[in-house]
Amino acid sequence: MTRRLSAGRIVVLIVFLLADALVGLGVYRYLGAHTGARLFQPQKPTDPGQQHHSGPIAELPGTLYLASEGAIYRLHHGDFSLVLPAGGWTQPAVTPDGRSLIVVKRQFAFSDLYLVSSGGQIQAQLTNDASKRYEFNDWAFYPRVTPDGSMLFFDWDRPKDLQATYNVTLKVWSMPLGNPNAARRWTTPTAYTGGDVQPLPLSSTQLVYTRYLRDQQGNVHSELWLTTRPDLTGLLPGHPLTTPEDDCGQAALAPDGKRLAMICTNGGQTTSLEVATFNGTALGPPLTLVGDLQAAEPAWAPDGSGLVFLAPGNLAGDFQLFWIRVPARLPSATSSTPSGTTRARPTPSPSAPPAPVQLTTNLDFDATSPIAWHA
Amino acid sequence: MAVIVLAGLVVSCLGGVLAYFAPALALAYRATGQATAVPLPHPTHGASSAATVTGGEAFTVLLLGSDDDQKFANANGGKTIVTQSMILVRVDPVTRHAVMLSIPRDLWIQLPNGAYGKADQASEFGGPPGSVAAVEQAFDIKIDAWVWVGLTGLIRLIDYMGGVDVVTSQPVMDDYYPADIDSKDPYAYERVAVLPGPQHLNGHDALQYVRSRHGDLQGDFGRSERQQQVLMALKAKARYIKPEDLPNLASTFNGELQTSMSLTQIRNLLPLAQAFDNPNQIQHVILLPPYTASKTIDGQDALVGNWSLILPLVHQYFGYA
Repeated sequence: MTRRLSAGRIVVLIVFLLADALVGLGVYRYLGAHTGARLFQPQKPTDPGQQHHSGPIAELPGTLYLASEGAIYRLHHGDFSLVLPAGGWTQPAVTPDGRSLIVVKRQFAFSDLYLVSSGGQIQAQLTNDASKRYEFNDWAFYPRVTPDGSMLFFDWDRPKDLQATYNVTLKVWSMPLGNPNAARRWTTPTAYTGGDVQPLPLSSTQLVYTRYLRDQQGNVHSELWLTTRPDLTGLLPGHPLTTPEDDCGQAALAPDGKRLAMICTNGGQTTSLEVATFNGTALGPPLTLVGDLQAAEPAWAPDGSGLVFLAPGNLAGDFQLFWIRVPARLPSATSSTPSGTTRARPTPSPSAPPAPVQLTTNLDFDATSPIAWHA
Repeated sequence: MAVIVLAGLVVSCLGGVLAYFAPALALAYRATGQATAVPLPHPTHGASSAATVTGGEAFTVLLLGSDDDQKFANANGGKTIVTQSMILVRVDPVTRHAVMLSIPRDLWIQLPNGAYGKADQASEFGGPPGSVAAVEQAFDIKIDAWVWVGLTGLIRLIDYMGGVDVVTSQPVMDDYYPADIDSKDPYAYERVAVLPGPQHLNGHDALQYVRSRHGDLQGDFGRSERQQQVLMALKAKARYIKPEDLPNLASTFNGELQTSMSLTQIRNLLPLAQAFDNPNQIQHVILLPPYTASKTIDGQDALVGNWSLILPLVHQYFGYA
């Protein structure tokens, strides 16, 4: 015997079924909204809520240029603005007058250097590294302008090793800023190490760079190297500023020219941010400002009071901007330290070093891109 | 009436949960418990099984990584996958200590068919169980379980987890890196330049970092070291993964993950993985010279093991068969 449902009961049944379906869907969506992966989604510096900052980041003097996900951003008094939109842009270097940037544009098999106005207008292409023949494409990285603004130092993988095509190494080159055809090679790297990187011109004739070398067991290390003349033969003029065991790189010279910041890894998966006095030929005992972190790319404030650097700063591990004040007094060089041959072990600060201040929390800066900072 | 309403809501909730975790359950069904043994010509002990991975006693897992394209199709038209990464992991839950030993892909060992060849070819004989059988015989150890991850699976996993933080030890430059992931041509090359220093790598870049070897004089050894670095970075990131991520992870792998372990064993191991939060708990071993030496055998660049040195080292960490 069947009983016919009244209209009212049918409505109640439909509402009941709808409610059940909504509850099931709600549970499904609730679970989907609580994944750990939601933690791992950074924002762009110009996204709403990220563009304007107050607090310590707004107190940084001058203008900083940073790379994030193929775009270049300007940071001025806590405000981020876009200089170059996403398109493989990285490693900005600012000219001494602050009006122009040299920026790397990285593409599938090559990269080029561009001269760009500080407002983001492309003014000139300084290298031409694309080739229809795959093996003749080139990489150009790490541009850096000399203090007098006359020369540009950078990394190039020219010339190719035609005898050993697996041996691809970066070499430091220089070129007059207005004359790309007069490029000149400065270093002859150790084969199969990746090469010499991160040139830091102290003048048009004095250069600090990160040199990669192999020890007797075949392990690759890095050291900061100081040279005063180009090396086309591998005789390696100049001398080391750090030891291979320290695995230092990413040198940054203070505006006063008397202090050098660097990143050292000691062959491990964490780094230390160290600062040492620099007399033009050798480093004093280094002071570790930040250790046991994956700190990268230190850049000095224009007034020399401190450094910004990048390090993982959220659960996702995206690199954020940090600031640390540098103590006014650094350990001084001792007479027992031979000039440029060894480096004393990092020393603790006479007083506790200042704590780093995290300036951003949910951005994603390119940690292989040096930060350019102009007054 | 109230009971019916309540029961309906409970059923709806369960339905939502079931629908949400369905992909994970499907993956669990497809990818776990795959312990097909491969017979050896001269067995030194019983074929491996996943029976002893419990989270209570020390156990050994073989981690395998390889592509799964048709580049190396054999004469029968089937796939001939070579293993590009083999890492033995010994975990002692009591002492909270682990050892990772990278097996060079060119190590010359006896394969499951009785012939000698490179270690990476062992998977041609029945897939991962073939690799397990060959490694067990060569090193005279007992492997309790294996896990295989495909290259695209690794990329998707790292991307899903938002990338990994690695300090790359040097510029990794390679003009002949295989572009067989994104290209239709399995023999295509691409130029790779992974710059040195701390950085946040996405899946694509991380794979380039661990897979490139042409610019590294240490060849496979240098690559093994980089693989272990990325594995540790992945492990550090994994602590943020929640049960709610399992369905997405299942979709992420999409056939790029297989293991001999059962679901129960995996569930038992999860708390153990959380306990390894100190890098000093994990020891890394790479079979550099004098443990191995380069040699050309049958026209192939191979590594010959100095077994009188290797076996004591391996038995020290991984025990005997």
